[in-house]
Amino acid sequence: MTHSPDLDEPVAYIQRTRDYYLALGFNNPYRWAHFDDVPFTPLAKSLATARLALITTAALYEPQAGEQGPGATYNAAAKFFRVYSAPAAGNPDVRIAHLTYDRAHTTAADPNTWFPLTQLQLAVARGRIGALTPRFHGAPTNRSQRVTMQVDAPELLRRCREDAADVALFVPT
Amino acid sequence: MSLLARHLEAEGIPTVIMGCALDIVAHCGVPRYVFSDFPLGNSAGKPFDPASQAATLELALQTLETATAPRTIVRSPQRWSDDPTWKLDYDNAARLTPDEIAQRRQAFNEGKVVARARVQAEQQGR
Repeated sequence: MTHSPDLDEPVAYIQRTRDYYLALGFNNPYRWAHFDDVPFTPLAKSLATARLALITTAALYEPQAGEQGPGATYNAAAKFFRVYSAPAAGNPDVRIAHLTYDRAHTTAADPNTWFPLTQLQLAVARGRIGALTPRFHGAPTNRSQRVTMQVDAPELLRRCREDAADVALFVPT
Repeated sequence: MSLLARHLEAEGIPTVIMGCALDIVAHCGVPRYVFSDFPLGNSAGKPFDPASQAATLELALQTLETATAPRTIVRSPQRWSDDPTWKLDYDNAARLTPDEIAQRRQAFNEGKVVARARVQAEQQGR
């Protein structure tokens, strides 16, 4: 089967989203963050001896917050607005019904597609990573970049330091 | 998430992001990014495919180990499907009927009301 090569490029989400909200009648397009300078910290130790923190945009399941299962439509009631932390041991129940994702092509039936805790635990078990931090952390998807920078970022850093994280894996949805 | 990763990195914690939205993260500028050209919602690999999920994580770990400068972007060799037409569907206004656009506008506005109530409830709970 052949397709237009243009179609096989990564989706241009910034333009797609701008066009989408304009079509819906919202004339105040979101301005995506952009920076000229990007920080960089080289990895200082072997991953086999490092403690890794997992950061997710997924939310802990809240039974009272409506439908959050596979195929659920967007559920604003399941959103959270502050950094949270939960034990990384076991099999925490995290959901993504409060986020926009491609509901036409993925049902969110397998949490491992947005929350790689099982694979991380396997990587620790075989010695690829030294350890996971005792907690994983949930990051709110605030529309306000000011809130993200002034409130969420220092709070997340504080928690990662508290857990003695050497590296952090961020998995947005 | 990009802003948060930048903050941790600036404060001395190396970071890597796994995701499916190349342009958004590249536009922001982050230290390390592993891009999977999959529908949004599959940043950590294909559903019910542990080999895909393991390979995606391994690529992220390798990127942590090998990146020597910021804005390092590594593209996963995995393909979602041999048929790329899935890329046409997500929030594509050109593919929606006027009725669908009206429904989505209404749903968006309703979501904002619900989210605002949620914020207020959290603030009162502080």
